[in-house]
Amino acid sequence: MTTENSTSAVTSTIDQTTADLLVMGAAIPPERLDAVLTNVAEAFPVESVVIAAQDQPGANVPANLRIIAAPQSSAAWMLTAADFVHACEIGREQQVRAILMLGPGTDSLKPHAMREVARAALSGSIDLAIPLYTLPPHAGLINSAILYPLTRALFATRARFPLTIDLGLSMRMAERLASVGRRFAAANQVDALLWPVNEATVAGFAVDEVEVGTRDVPQPSDPDINTILASVTGSLFADIEAKAAFWQRPRRLPPARREMAEAAPADGTADVPRMVEAFRLANSNLQEIWSLVLPPNSLLALKRISVLDAEVFRMPENLWARIIFDFVIAYRLRTINRGHLLGALIPLYLAWVASHLNVTASGTSSELHIEAVAEAFEADKPYLVARWRWPDRFNS
Amino acid sequence: MHNLIAGISQASQSTSAPPVSIDDASLWHRMSDALHQSLYRVLTLLIAVLPGILAFFVALTIFILCGMLLSWLLRRCLSWIKFDARLARPGGDGWTPASSPTEIVARASFWACVVLGLIIGVSAFDVSYATGTALPISLLPYVTHAVGAMFLLIAGILIARFLARSVLISAVNAQLQYARFLSLGVKWLVLVLTAAMVLDHLEVGGKIVELAFGILFGGIVLTLALAVGLGSRDLVSRSLESHVERTGEREHVAHSASSSSEQIRHF
Repeated sequence: MTTENSTSAVTSTIDQTTADLLVMGAAIPPERLDAVLTNVAEAFPVESVVIAAQDQPGANVPANLRIIAAPQSSAAWMLTAADFVHACEIGREQQVRAILMLGPGTDSLKPHAMREVARAALSGSIDLAIPLYTLPPHAGLINSAILYPLTRALFATRARFPLTIDLGLSMRMAERLASVGRRFAAANQVDALLWPVNEATVAGFAVDEVEVGTRDVPQPSDPDINTILASVTGSLFADIEAKAAFWQRPRRLPPARREMAEAAPADGTADVPRMVEAFRLANSNLQEIWSLVLPPNSLLALKRISVLDAEVFRMPENLWARIIFDFVIAYRLRTINRGHLLGALIPLYLAWVASHLNVTASGTSSELHIEAVAEAFEADKPYLVARWRWPDRFNS
Repeated sequence: MHNLIAGISQASQSTSAPPVSIDDASLWHRMSDALHQSLYRVLTLLIAVLPGILAFFVALTIFILCGMLLSWLLRRCLSWIKFDARLARPGGDGWTPASSPTEIVARASFWACVVLGLIIGVSAFDVSYATGTALPISLLPYVTHAVGAMFLLIAGILIARFLARSVLISAVNAQLQYARFLSLGVKWLVLVLTAAMVLDHLEVGGKIVELAFGILFGGIVLTLALAVGLGSRDLVSRSLESHVERTGEREHVAHSASSSSEQIRHF
């Protein structure tokens, strides 16, 4: 097993010093490495491809692949800042034209999906190619509730999965992400999450979305919703704070290029009463904290929906958008401790999930509802911009 | 006053049998002397202390100005080197203060200067007071203790509020029905502890405070334990029952858990 941090070649089946594409897989388990290599070989039968792998593959390495050793990655769940730094360094060393970064659980990604993402990055006109996954119903709910609508409203991009697992990068995009990654590394935050879509938008780089079908989405080692929501949402809020000068300017959203997939209706309402109960409990106990963050009309609206039965429970899209915007403002103003703030968001998020499950159970397409939520965020963006610039203390 | 003394002396002459000759002018003179001496002593004390008071205010003013300058300089320098961005921890996990790190450093430096000015001013006042008068100094140590007690009180209140919020949010997210009660219990535990520390620091009450604190603290802990224990009795018994049953149905439980997690995935 190779664990050293050098990037020298350990196996070379093709005598080449340069390549078109660098494929970098983060933390591929040794027993799955051969399957991933087979998929990569099938995806790129003619291109010259270098694969940076952390472990030495078995004896049957496909002939068209060149394997080099990659530094150890700590990415067990998502690609981290350190992975982007390593990818850029290896890419520069190997003089590649583009980089395909594969997150954990890569073996479930089909060869054609890899090919499409890499092709977009190699085309020269696209700097960041992000996959559009087909997920099972009721999966990726944090993404649907917060990450996608917020990124779309603020950064004017239709990236459905802003915190993507796999990426196709042009070299200049890789350099940009590596420079951000180095900043995090300098602050000893190598495990920090990066937001490539936001970086690309701010840099004015071209972003494209590629349909890749299904994929096993890696789950965090700690499946506790408190940890996941605080980690992901806090990271996005911090990125929004850092890029405030960019997103405050009005921008036109590019037209939709993809058809909304009609997913089969799924019944996930079994958990709705539990989530609504959690929201009601929070509504009666967290008023003291919510009142520091949310304006009175939002609190009143929450009080109104808290008395609804679980079967008919709905959270209006505009109320959800307003809540998230107020939490972004409170995060920026440090109205309360940030850990407390993100903890206080959890019951509200569960209320949104309960509402979403009820909406989809009633026959409305999940994607249609998520699009409606995203449009509500876009419509309410002026409120966020206004309060960001003039953060009146409504509660004092 | 003169008439009053004359009246009193006349009355005493009329009531008392043996005639005693009292010199009115002499009595007044003695009283006047006593008053003059008292006034003289107070004025002397004030004159002796005045330089100390002046030194206290001058030291405080100078150090406040120094603090403002240092704070401004630090704010500019730290903003220039992007101190906040370097220290920012994405995700908001761990301890995240209510102000930015730059603001905290700037404020801390300002208040450090103010405290330094206070210490120097008080010591200057102390020296001036001690050399200027022969009176025993009994107030100054108490003032120092009072300042320390004030800091203890502020820190205690802040910690109590932070812990109460942490417990409240965690308990609500764990869906505990008695979340607010738990949070209040923690808050009052810390506040009672703080109050006892403050009184002990001020050396007020002595043994009574210790005894009262022990009774009150123990009482709160016992109340919390009883409340949580009685309130969660059903929960604990269900948990124990399910633990016993789980040994025979482990596979079934694992299957149902996995099927539930397949339905809803937050990420």
